[in-house]
Amino acid sequence: MTSALLQVSDLKMHFPLRGGVLFRPVATVRAVDGVNLTVEAGQTLGLVGESGCGKTTVGRCVVRLYRPTAGRVRVDGQDLAVVRGGRLKQIRRDLQMIFQDPFESLNARHTVGEILREPFRIHRIGGPGQQAAAVERLLERVGLDPGAQNRFPHEFSGGQRQRIGIARAVALNPRLIVCDEPVSALDVSIQSQILNLLLDLQREMGLAYLFITHDLAVVKHVSDRIAVMYLGKIVETADADRLYQAPLHPYTVALISAIPVPDPARRKGRPLLGGDVPSPIDPPAGCRFHPRCPLAVDRCRREEPVLQAMDGAEPDHRVACHRAGQMRLPPDG
Amino acid sequence: MRFRLNPLTVQKIRRFRSIRRGYWSFWIFCLLILFSLAAELLVNDRAILVHYEGRFYWPTYGDPLPGRTFGLDYDYETDYRHLRRHLAAGRGAGWVLMPPVPYGPYSTDLRTDAFPPFAPSWSERHYLGTDTVGRDVLARLVYGFRIAIFFSLGLLAANYAIGVSIGCAMGYFGGRFDLFFQRVIEIWANMPFLYVVIIVSSIVVPSFALLIAIMAFFGWIGITWTMRTVTYKERTRDYVLAAQVLGASHGRIILRHILPNTVAVIVTYAPFSVASGIVALTSLDYLGFGLPPPTPSWGELLQQGWAYMSAWWIVAAVVGAMVVTLVTVTFIGEAVREAFDPKRYTVYE
Repeated sequence: MTSALLQVSDLKMHFPLRGGVLFRPVATVRAVDGVNLTVEAGQTLGLVGESGCGKTTVGRCVVRLYRPTAGRVRVDGQDLAVVRGGRLKQIRRDLQMIFQDPFESLNARHTVGEILREPFRIHRIGGPGQQAAAVERLLERVGLDPGAQNRFPHEFSGGQRQRIGIARAVALNPRLIVCDEPVSALDVSIQSQILNLLLDLQREMGLAYLFITHDLAVVKHVSDRIAVMYLGKIVETADADRLYQAPLHPYTVALISAIPVPDPARRKGRPLLGGDVPSPIDPPAGCRFHPRCPLAVDRCRREEPVLQAMDGAEPDHRVACHRAGQMRLPPDG
Repeated sequence: MRFRLNPLTVQKIRRFRSIRRGYWSFWIFCLLILFSLAAELLVNDRAILVHYEGRFYWPTYGDPLPGRTFGLDYDYETDYRHLRRHLAAGRGAGWVLMPPVPYGPYSTDLRTDAFPPFAPSWSERHYLGTDTVGRDVLARLVYGFRIAIFFSLGLLAANYAIGVSIGCAMGYFGGRFDLFFQRVIEIWANMPFLYVVIIVSSIVVPSFALLIAIMAFFGWIGITWTMRTVTYKERTRDYVLAAQVLGASHGRIILRHILPNTVAVIVTYAPFSVASGIVALTSLDYLGFGLPPPTPSWGELLQQGWAYMSAWWIVAAVVGAMVVTLVTVTFIGEAVREAFDPKRYTVYE
């Protein structure tokens, strides 16, 4: 084991669908089905995928909102599944989360001051005076007026609310923050401000991010490494630059070529995907991507590919595909 | 930190005030309760103030004053209506100030020349007449209202205490606990409420507290279901997850986050619950399984009125009072529901 800050190994999260008179499980949603991730201290791992591919579930397992069906989530080598009580509370200080919808993630009945004081209250840090000072520092740090304390969340814009959410997440000086689509509910003009705030905080506080998003343009901007997820599995993982320059998995290629480019001349020849993500209740046999894959052959239908480094490629660049590297990005410079 | 009402709450209160019908009903209802609390001063067979031989007496509250205090020839409690006539006739130095309605809920106005019920009479100060044993209908109504309203409020408190805690726990913890109580409630809801009340009141005479206990025994179900649903919805919302990630305890999450956000439901439910409590007590009393006689009660009056239709003032008074009370409470409930309607404040993105 390396000394990675976050080590997720073979994580599985299955949700039973219950039904019938006796409320027995009748089916299983395999939201996450064997995911391996590593986040080093101070680094950002981007987790990319379509809606419903299980990326949010991974994030929630990491902060232990869900208890995984199988697999391990280790923070500093400590298995999250076995800690409870005071020890868990202690670990939670290192592990925070920023939510997608800033209208949902703040309790509308509390003032901003109360919301930001809550972390200190829960962990009994400092007296009222110190807490008030800390709240003011936090507000200032995320670029809000200290007067915001006495106001309520609904009096703020989406971007400002997200700043409050970020302030709450960094209040306890965490080491890892799971950012679950932190900017996708925001206007594009606001997105970059929030992203820059996150990057600044990362530099200052040495934070590591697990950055969950469906937006490849965003993830490129912030990530050191990127993992691409499809239907509960990681299909490709590589350094951010590497992944954008030479994606190996056809799914990654399709995703990257779907990034909007503000030039109508370059639009032609993109390998766009048809269809929807299949249901995680009954995932396709073999490679889960094969029903939508333009390169699919018989082997893909039968045999599930393993996530591994390709011969001749960098060892850090792993891909789960039988036909890896056979699809290229359309040339556009 | 200085206290500040949530602007959303302020908005709800403002909205409630703008619904005139409900707002006025609210004040009328509050006044009715206040009046009923001061009933001893307004409707009573004890005098408010007696001036006798240079001394003032306030007989309304406290121990009964025997007749001898005022120079009458008996040791039991003074009959102030008699004392008033006695002093007015000049057989003693002093005067008596009686309440506007000089009859208590238990005092019978017996006469040698006629049998009750007596029709309403301004000069006798029986403004709504008397019932079949000569007790003043207005006095019975006022004290009956007081009992009914505090019964309803007590029942509400009991139902809420049980229903909110169980419902909240069901929605919050889910799983087996939830499943278990769902089945319990389904079975519970099928127990015939009236039979159980009849059986219990045939064994023991129900007191005020016992009757609340019996009714709460069956009444907690409605609010429990509602609270379960609301809590279920709230607990998966991001702000609750955020508190969880911060390491907040279950108690903190429930008390600081979930309950305050379900307050709209709790408040909206209350007026209708009060109305149904009044109706329930009245119907139990009507059937004779409620509070024991001679407790002043609308149900018992209604029953008398039904038996003596010729004494129309009894039925008219009770029905009128019921209609006014229930309409008032329903108007309040309607306005509260309107003011707390979450749709008005939800922002759909």
